[in-house]
Amino acid sequence: MFVAKVKSDIIKGIIEVTSPLVNEAKFNITAKGLSLRAVDPAHVAMVDLELKNSAFEEYKASDMELGIDLDKLSGIMKLASAGDLVTLEYDEEANRLIVKIGNLVRRMGLIDTAGMPDSKVPHLDLPAKAVVKAGELHKGVRASEAVSDHLSLNIDKDSFELFAEGDTDTVNLKLPRDMLLELQSPGKFRSLFSIDYFSNMIKPVRSEDPITINLGNDNPIRVDFDIAEKNGHVTYLLAPRIESE
Amino acid sequence: MGVDLGDLFPKQPCSYQDFSGRIIAIDAYNVIHQFLAIIRQRDGTPLKDASGHITSHLSGLLFRTSNLVEAGIRPVYVFDGPPHALKARTIAERRKRKEQAERDYQEALAAGDLATAKSKASQTSRLTDEILTESKELLLALGIPFVQAPSEGEAQASFMVQQGHAYAAGSQDFDCLLFGASLLIRNLTSSERRKLPGKQAYVTVLPELLRLDQGLTTNGITREQLVDIAILLGTDFNDGIKGYGPKKSLAAIKEHGSLEQMLQAHPEITLPSEEIATIRSMFLQPPVTTDYTIKWTSPDPSKVLQVLCEEHQFSQARVTPALEKFQKAEYVLKQRNLFDF
Repeated sequence: MFVAKVKSDIIKGIIEVTSPLVNEAKFNITAKGLSLRAVDPAHVAMVDLELKNSAFEEYKASDMELGIDLDKLSGIMKLASAGDLVTLEYDEEANRLIVKIGNLVRRMGLIDTAGMPDSKVPHLDLPAKAVVKAGELHKGVRASEAVSDHLSLNIDKDSFELFAEGDTDTVNLKLPRDMLLELQSPGKFRSLFSIDYFSNMIKPVRSEDPITINLGNDNPIRVDFDIAEKNGHVTYLLAPRIESE
Repeated sequence: MGVDLGDLFPKQPCSYQDFSGRIIAIDAYNVIHQFLAIIRQRDGTPLKDASGHITSHLSGLLFRTSNLVEAGIRPVYVFDGPPHALKARTIAERRKRKEQAERDYQEALAAGDLATAKSKASQTSRLTDEILTESKELLLALGIPFVQAPSEGEAQASFMVQQGHAYAAGSQDFDCLLFGASLLIRNLTSSERRKLPGKQAYVTVLPELLRLDQGLTTNGITREQLVDIAILLGTDFNDGIKGYGPKKSLAAIKEHGSLEQMLQAHPEITLPSEEIATIRSMFLQPPVTTDYTIKWTSPDPSKVLQVLCEEHQFSQARVTPALEKFQKAEYVLKQRNLFDF
């Protein structure tokens, strides 16, 4: 059984976090809440999303997996205004997800989850940690997009730095310790990332909210932030670009 | 054609994603032949542009390769050079078969038997110089590298795998295993659904991975013995011995150790020793080149559109999304795989 009532913004948030990576996702539903893990087709990025039952206005569920087409869900959710309440209900007999927005009802066919494998989390060596205000990162990324398709992230003992270099232009955003919410680094660490992917990862976070970054040398990055008024959490992993050239 | 080693090698079903970030050396003649054979209309007519010019190869290279790069695979195509003299006979026979298929095709078409027509038509395709030139021109515009082999493309692809320059060879034929490729991927450029021959039914075709080591160990043989087995079965360079299928050939070589010793025990089989020596060296020391670079470059969208849409009337609405996959893949080609960690 699964019946839940939730603010439309929360569902939109899930779509915003997940849809840059995959078109369909397997939602794991339990009495405690819902979670999903998705990896993009090129195996470059992974998202882990958790939403506690406390994020919902009403929530009743037993254990199940729902294979949801995110394009379909996104399509219907576009019709919901901010603040609208959305009811989600699993119709076991027809194997459909019923989405109700006011008097609008969409009965949505589900995807067989048998073909959707569970990915393991790769082993990571990420000694450096910085907690940065999302707004600062948004600015750095937007400036970088104009000059290159990749950027480097650097953390040392005193600062966090974002750097992008194009053919003629460079962009640099250096945040010293006092402009960071937290900084822990036993040395210098640097990895290179695709701006497209990185941008999609941090986009859903509101400017004033914190983003936690864990970084290593030529290693994937781990990005963590809360969603749904801290009733949910997102962890992103992004594989680095190859250095040189 | 290649040697039918399918029964001797375990096959591991895979998905494109399993090869994300990997360099795969693809046997260009093999896949282009496949495109010409398969990418056809219902009555067996190949895809053609307004002036009647065949375009099945361009369609295949564009769309199938775009699916590979979308999954993060780094393809490099390997083209055949001039064939070895021993292959001439095989080639002459193939030509004869094609001429017969061509006649059957016309007959079936005239009789209105579309299923037979399509099946026969798929056997008539020929790799002309024009098709090869156009294929290379398209790859160049797409930024996908290709290597010109001195002789057999499969030998060169296998050599690149041995050198560690490619992760696996990609071909429908099993010959890459004889040429010493440690990994061979089949069905890489097939569509996911394939029609069963002669039936109105489809099967899902998944890429499959074959490991040379695993096959040799499973059968308890060396690569040299595998080549001997291939010679009994028949290769591109000889006809094979009548009555010797994969199982019987394996048993015979295992029992006697080598082809020479086996022939001593079976005087009724004639196989000239020079022929054996030549075929062995074709597989074990084939002509290959170290003169190649594997580098992906940015696709040239205006050139791609010119070749496909202006010269051959492809619909721009269909080409653009495929082209976008190549443009996106630019990142991917320089991008590491999360599961490498």
